[in-house]
Order: sequence, then C-alpha cells, then structure tokens
Amino acid sequence: MSEAVAVNPALRLWSGYLRLVARHPVIGSVVPFLPLIALWAIVVEAGVFPRAFFPGPVDVFHSFVDLTRKGILPAYLADSIVRLAVGAAAGMVAGILLGLLVGLNERAHRALWPVLLFFQAIGDIAWLPLLIIWFGFGLETMTFVIVYTVLFPVVLNTVLGVRSIPLDLHRAAQSLGAPRWRILTEVVLPGALPNIITGLRNGLGYGWRALIAAEMIVGTSGVGFMMFDARRAGSVVEILLGMIILGLLWYAVDALILAPIERATGQRWGMVAR
Amino acid sequence: MKSLTINHLSKTYFDPYAAKHVTAVQDVSLDVPEGEFVAIVGPSGCGKTTILNMIAGFLPASGGDIIVDSRKVSGPGPDRGVVFQSHALFPWKTVLENVAFGPKMRGVGLKEREEIARDYLALAGLSHAAERYPNELSGGMQQRVGVVRALANEPAVLLMDEPFASVDAQTRMTLQEELTRIWQARRPTILFITHDVPEAVFLANRVVVLSKGRVLEEVEIDLPRPRSWDAMMDDERFKTLSARVLQLVRAA
Ligand SMILES: Nc1ncnc2c1ncn2[C@@H]1O[C@H](COP(=O)(O)OP(=O)(O)O)[C@@H](O)[C@H]1O
Ligand SMILES: [Mg+2]
Repeated sequence: MSEAVAVNPALRLWSGYLRLVARHPVIGSVVPFLPLIALWAIVVEAGVFPRAFFPGPVDVFHSFVDLTRKGILPAYLADSIVRLAVGAAAGMVAGILLGLLVGLNERAHRALWPVLLFFQAIGDIAWLPLLIIWFGFGLETMTFVIVYTVLFPVVLNTVLGVRSIPLDLHRAAQSLGAPRWRILTEVVLPGALPNIITGLRNGLGYGWRALIAAEMIVGTSGVGFMMFDARRAGSVVEILLGMIILGLLWYAVDALILAPIERATGQRWGMVAR
Repeated sequence: MKSLTINHLSKTYFDPYAAKHVTAVQDVSLDVPEGEFVAIVGPSGCGKTTILNMIAGFLPASGGDIIVDSRKVSGPGPDRGVVFQSHALFPWKTVLENVAFGPKMRGVGLKEREEIARDYLALAGLSHAAERYPNELSGGMQQRVGVVRALANEPAVLLMDEPFASVDAQTRMTLQEELTRIWQARRPTILFITHDVPEAVFLANRVVVLSKGRVLEEVEIDLPRPRSWDAMMDDERFKTLSARVLQLVRAA
C-alpha cells in the first residue's frame, strides 16, 4: 500500500519553475536579477540617499529610452562593439598564429616564452601613457590596447593547447599517412581548440574592460566615453546605465557566442568538463 | 611482398641528465613473412617499445636496418599501421571519421572512404557506434576502433604495442579472440608486442622472447585455429607452450 504524500506547495512551485526554465532558458537568466532590482528600487524609494546621487531602476530605464531615441546610445554602443570586434579579430588571428609557432617549435618556445610572459604582465592600461605620447588621443591608441589585451591570453592558451596534445595522436596521424600540413589542420588545430576558446574568452573579457577604460581616457565616443562624459555633467543616471549595458553585453557575448561554441567542441569531445 | 625484415637492429639512448649512453636494443634480427602473426614477449624494460617505435619510424635506429614491403624504413608511413596502448583515437572525430582518416589522407573521396570505414567497422561488430565520439565508448570499444582504424588503411604490416594491456580481463579475452578471428579472415601481417605470455601464445604463430634488448629464443606456436579461450584453457599443448615461454621470460 502506498499513500500519496501531500507535496509541499513551495516544492510544487519550485518544480514548476524548473520546468518553465527548461522550456524557456531565457527566464532562468532573468529571474535571478529580479530580487536585485527590487532591492535597488526599495532603497531608492526609502529615500536614504538623494535621488540625483542614487537614481532608481525606473530613472535609468527612462534615460535608456531617451538616449536611444536621440540615437546617442546606439551610435556609442556600435562604436565600442566595432572597436572590440576589429581588435579582437586581429588579436585572435595573430595570437593563434604565434601560439602555433611557439607551441610547435621547441626553439621558438625557448626564445619567446619568457618574453611573452614578460609582456603579458605589463597590463594593457600600463601602456596608455606611452601610447598617448606616440599616437595621441585616438583610434590607434585604442586599437593597440585591445589587440594587445586579446593577443596574450590567446597566445598563451594556444601554446598550452598545442603542447597538451598527446604525442601518440601526432604519431597516429603520421602512421595513417598524414603529411605535415594535414597534421596541422587535422590534429594540432582541433586538439588546441578548447584551449584557444578559453584564451579567446579571457581575451575578450579583458579586452572589453580595457576598451572601456581606454575610451574613458582617450575616447571621443563609445560607452566608456559616454560614462565619463556623464560624470562631467554629474549625470549618475547615465553612468549607471553604462554600467548595466556593460554587464548585459558581456552576458550576451557569453550566452550567444562563447557558450554554444564550447558546447559543440571541447565539451562534446570529452576534452573539458561540462 | 607485405613482409617485415629487421637486420641487426640496435638502439642506444643518450641520457643527457646522467650524461651516459643506455643500450636498449642490441643486434636484433627478425623476420615476419607476409600474412604471419608474430609476437614479441619480454619483461618490461627489455626494449619492446623501442623496437616497435623504430619499425614505425618514430625513432631513428642507431644501427641495422628495417625493410617493409621491400623498402627501407626511414620515418613513419602508411605502410606500417600502428595500434597504440593509449588507443590514440582523435577525440574530435567520430568513430567513422577516425576509421576513414587513413583513406582521407590517401585522397579517397568522402563517399568512398566512409564506405570503406563502414565495411571495417562491420567486421569488428562496431557498426552501431559509427556516429559516436571516442569519449562515449568503453575502453574495450576504443581499442577495437583503434585496431579497425589501422586495418582500414590496409598497411603492409600492422604493429601493435600492448594494445589490450589497459582493459579489464574479460574484455581483454574477447578482444584477443576477435583479433585472431579478424587475422584469419583478412590475414594481415602482424607484429604484436606484449609482456603477457598467455596472450602471446594464444595469438601468434611464432613468439619471440626478448631479453635485455636481445632475442633470446623463438618459439613456434603450432596450435590449431580458430582459437578460443574456452578451448585453450584445457589444451595440453597450449599449457606446455605457455610454460615453456614463461620459463624463458623468467630466465630473461
Ligand atoms: N627516451 C629514452 N631515453 C633513455 N632511455 C630510454 C628511453 N626510452 C626507453 N629507454 C630505456 O630503454 C629500455 C627499453 O625501454 P622500452 O623499449 O620502453 O621497454 P619495454 O617496452 O620493453 O618496456 C629501458 O631501460 C628504458 O629505460
Ligand atoms: Mg613498452
């Protein structure tokens, strides 16, 4: 005899939520922010701080609509994204090529590895004083910073990836008749891919932050410039809006680009933990 | 001639940290005629892997020469298929793509090479696993695919270095029986390396006992085929031959 045990209503609600998220994953990424926004709104409504110093979610939303309607926000956002995309693409291509060379060639590894570690340690922003003297306040300076920031994580991770491929896989390919360049495309690149993606993830993350910092210091447009300009005008609303956009944009890059690639490659092949 | 001949092969390693030379293989001569199944057996550290790596072309020999299919060996090549203990399947390729890799390198078109791969997978009873990735297979199945991948490239000689050493005992017996069955069906030329005496006697036509880098003795294995473990367990000749080889290995 089995008796139906009454299910706690809270548990029933929880299981309903889990099923809903399974069907619509977007809900799962939005719901965790609701308490945060609510808390924010409550603190603002309580009037602890002057409203001009600490605006609420509704004020920020209004500013979002306003700046979007004026076309300022879309233009600045596009500027930042294009800079990141161009810089990241250049840094990635150069990083993978350099990483393959250093990873495959023992002499290149001996000669370049310590140098790479040295330059990696000199953070992106640390270059700004020198770059401003060399190139002035402009696009060259910003591009240099992004390419530099993306390049190093990609190089270092590509080298690690190439060197982590078991010797037996090279040998198997050789014994199956693969010439050198086919080993590069059939063994080395796919074998290093999970690490390359990790490098890209780190590089894009650092690059995005470096870009915003560079825009604040040397920019004349972009999200970073918008936030720093808002400081001049004393507009806390726009600063908060900029911060939220930075977070959302990274979330989108991760969820729409990086995570799907990782699921289709390293995780699928059992080369990295899920 | 799809045969393998080794003449006065030797290998000396230089150990840079101890700054001295280590002789791993010394004056080994061996003949594996076309369609033969020869096993090299010996305790660990006696130079088995070194010999196989020289034949495969992974390591240069210090002296002597290796002739496969009437040609002198000077580097890795598709005339010598290798089955690794670590299975060495490409994790980013499906089972089918792994098996079709050799033909792909030969320039065989997609349709045709997949057909070849499917044929060989069927031979080993692996058709159902064609679309899976290696990490989704059991250890025994991974080794089967490793053997099939080497066979599908139709090498003159198949080189196997302790391919079943890391699977469980029951699976190992099944794999050994399958290998003898495939050998009988296709008659590839095989050089099989192992430290496991019953395995060598069960599989081969001839067992070469290696000791400290030298050939100690060769023992003909005239057991009938097809061979199965059920029959071998109580076979007097199997027991006698195994005891004889074991004695040689222990004296090695
Ligand atoms: N790369 C190497 N450098 C120096 N010595 C080695 C190297 N590889 C193997 N040896 C030595 O050569 C001998 C034979 O090794 P190996 O061929 O691996 O034996 P087995 O496969 O029979 O266990 C061992 O004494 C081993 O220590
Ligand atoms: Mg060995």
